[in-house]
Amino acid sequence: MHELLRRFQFFLTRSRRARELADEIDFHREMADQSGKSRAGFGNELRLREQAREAWGWTWIDRLGQDLSYATRTLRRSPGFSATAILVLAVGIGVNITAFSLFNMMVLQYIPVRDAASIIRLQRRSPDASTNTISYASMKFYGDHARTLSAVMGTLGVGGTHLENDPQSVATEYATENYFTELGTQPMLGRMFDVSRDGGADATPVAVVSYSFWQKRFGADPNLVGKVIHVNQKPVMVIGVLPEAFVALGRQHPDLWLPIRQIGYFIEGNTTISDTASNGGGVEMWGRLAPGVTAKVAEQELKSLTNELREQHPKDIWDNEYIRSDPGGHDQMMQPDMLIAMSAIGGLVFLILAVACANLGGLLLARGVMREHEISIRVAIGAGRGRIFRQLFTESLLLSTLGSVVGLALGYVTLRIVMAIGNAPLWMTATPDWRVIVFTLGIGFVAAALFGLAPAMQMARQRQRRTLVRQILLGAQIAASCLLLIVAGLLVRAAQHALYAYPGFGYEQVVAVELGLSDHGYKAADARGVMEQFRNRALALPGVKSVSFSSMQPLGHNRVATISNTINGHLVRIFPFTVSPEFFSTMDVPLMRGRNFHPGEEHAVIISDSLARKQWPGEDPIGKQDASGSASGDIVVGVVANARLMDMQDGDTVELYHAAKEADMADLVVLVKTAGAPDGLTPTLRSIAQGLDPKLFPEVRLLKAEFTHETQSAGNIARIISLLGLVAVSLAALGILGLVAYSVSQRTKEIAIRLALGANPVQVLAAILRQFSWPVVVGMVVGIAATAALSQILRRILYGVSNLDPASYAGAIAVLLLICLVAGVLPARRALKLDIARALHQE
Amino acid sequence: MPMKFMPSDDTPKPGMPSGALAMLILRVLRSGPLHGYAIAQKIHVLSSEVLAVEEGSLYPALQKILLKGWVSAEWGISETNRKVRFYRLTPAGQKQLEAELSDYDRVTHAIQAVLRTA
Repeated sequence: MHELLRRFQFFLTRSRRARELADEIDFHREMADQSGKSRAGFGNELRLREQAREAWGWTWIDRLGQDLSYATRTLRRSPGFSATAILVLAVGIGVNITAFSLFNMMVLQYIPVRDAASIIRLQRRSPDASTNTISYASMKFYGDHARTLSAVMGTLGVGGTHLENDPQSVATEYATENYFTELGTQPMLGRMFDVSRDGGADATPVAVVSYSFWQKRFGADPNLVGKVIHVNQKPVMVIGVLPEAFVALGRQHPDLWLPIRQIGYFIEGNTTISDTASNGGGVEMWGRLAPGVTAKVAEQELKSLTNELREQHPKDIWDNEYIRSDPGGHDQMMQPDMLIAMSAIGGLVFLILAVACANLGGLLLARGVMREHEISIRVAIGAGRGRIFRQLFTESLLLSTLGSVVGLALGYVTLRIVMAIGNAPLWMTATPDWRVIVFTLGIGFVAAALFGLAPAMQMARQRQRRTLVRQILLGAQIAASCLLLIVAGLLVRAAQHALYAYPGFGYEQVVAVELGLSDHGYKAADARGVMEQFRNRALALPGVKSVSFSSMQPLGHNRVATISNTINGHLVRIFPFTVSPEFFSTMDVPLMRGRNFHPGEEHAVIISDSLARKQWPGEDPIGKQDASGSASGDIVVGVVANARLMDMQDGDTVELYHAAKEADMADLVVLVKTAGAPDGLTPTLRSIAQGLDPKLFPEVRLLKAEFTHETQSAGNIARIISLLGLVAVSLAALGILGLVAYSVSQRTKEIAIRLALGANPVQVLAAILRQFSWPVVVGMVVGIAATAALSQILRRILYGVSNLDPASYAGAIAVLLLICLVAGVLPARRALKLDIARALHQE
Repeated sequence: MPMKFMPSDDTPKPGMPSGALAMLILRVLRSGPLHGYAIAQKIHVLSSEVLAVEEGSLYPALQKILLKGWVSAEWGISETNRKVRFYRLTPAGQKQLEAELSDYDRVTHAIQAVLRTA
């Protein structure tokens, strides 16, 4: 340590020390002269001093300084080249910085709540089951007994809550009373929930309002706190308004927050608080780790608590159940499929950087030829290979640093735009934090290594085989651009397909009504009565063609069930529906073979055509047992056409239908099909429901609105990827343009001679372009092969388009070829306009 | 032919083990502070003119030792009445010297033992 300090001190006083050293060596020589010794072996004095100074270990800084100032001068001397290089790099680096910043904001940064690092999301898991909710009673049990957790919080989102007589329902979240205290939320107005005041079963009903809802619905009324509003027609006092920057766990942003203990007051008959099993309902559970406790330790304690729970309620706890914890203090929880998506995006943006670097590498090599003279002089006066290499690489580092700075600015601007479009939460800022800065430094160095190492090595060695390296670099650019373009093409085609192709079911004229009977604690027989009455009244409405029930709302996101099974060696996602027989006519899903269900029929399943083909290729599935995803003993009675009811983009999903029985009734969604446009039906359907039971506040949705929403996101992804593809192609085009222009300028004389001797201009053109044709061809072949191999990952979002879709591949290749041709011919044409006499007289 | 501590082409690489010159410098400084030239002279004389320390290796070695904190430098007046830097052994240097001497003794004894018996 002392030595380090001294070393630093030496550095600070190095000019004085250098003088002293010179003086000392002078003295040594004087003495040696006096003693009459020969001066042989004394050597160069300057060199001696330098060697002595090297002991301090600071010469590299001096050299770096020299290299940097030299590099600066070199770059300044050719501003055109420098500007192009910095721009190309800035684009490549900027795209990466933007992608990383988004990743950083969503996954790495903590949300601004008190001690976000210690918040964990807790979910029930077992080797063969998983759910994201837990019964309130179990949550309470964990909260009361876990000593590794300092607090347990729960939230429960409920759709279809009504405020006063507003036609639109408001998004509501029920939260445990410790929620805001645990998150350290400071109210904008009034107060937040308080365990001692609002935690009792008979506490006065209270509500907390979100900032945006306070603005929109209550006109930013400064006196709102203390006023009584009516939620589901029940009076409740507003006690506080959340601050604008409030962030809830798990990306929730409801309009209204209510204490979970009072859920039975707002939703009559609700059994959330008393239920011990969490089928359907249940709360999302969050915990805060006690100081000094790791998530692993907490998981172990929770596991033993789960075993205690099993003794109390053997039926409600699964075999081998455990509580899984995930970091909860981030905007997004990292899930495996999200990780795949993110690595795919990471790979694509890195490809752009690779294109930029290959591009720049080519430019540097081309420039290297012009600098041959300079370098050979430096070698002649004694510069070693290492010294030349270091100097050239310093130049690259300087370039990449400048590119990083511009890229950081570019990334910042892009991020601002993306955040504005994507409605990013208020706490997120585009200002780079230390992680982004470190990433920028890292990516800058990687870029410098990518584009600078090969040229520097070639030039330092004074090798002549640069054409080959240039061709390889060009091929790499083409390969990467090719991959990006094909992926973009595939995604655009898939998005178009999703938009314009028939999804396999009719959605234009269907309205979904969620009565929420199970939320109100309906028993099966009562639920059946209400559902049937609702159906009869809806059918009586003019313009209604059919009414049916389904366990999952088509295109919906609530209570979506999936089964992942392996069928004949392929992993298949199955959507299991429980429906009434009218479902197929309501949704326009044609029956292809066999028959429809009888109402309430047991041990019968209907499967989709794709499931039939996957499980029994070439056989008649009717009468078979054990269709994948069904219970044993269930017999296939019918086959219906494929319908992308739940996932518009995944072509690998199949459907399985069971007949709805009385026990299912409370959880079913009503689907109403009209003859004309269904838009005006919403209030009528709602009043029918309330006529049956005034407690009900049904959620009514138009399927066509859900459909538009669904396809929009697919379109957005396709647009972003197309943009990336275009950036890559423009970079590659720029690279080809530069290389061909350079090659023409190098071969001016040869071309002039050829023309003077009467060569055909087309032949000359071909001769110039020939050396670029094979890298383009090889690059394309590699690019196509790589895409074909990697596109398997994309299958899940490529509905209706094969990952080897010939149109996408052909389109991408055509675009790329066209751009290559233009980029090659434009500068090459210059050669044909040569003033032959002038060109031959030069030199 | 005197054995020389000569710098090689690029970096100082004495013909002897690299620590040897440092050890010799520390050893001759034990009897009191000396300037650079005197250090070279003393080593030369004490080795019965077998070892000649070139300035090209002496000064880098001195800078290294200075950096390690084994010697301190102070300004004094030479016998020729010139201002010059004298090097003085520090307690850390003293310790280092003892460690190196005992190491050196052990190794030479070992080598001699081999030479005698093998």
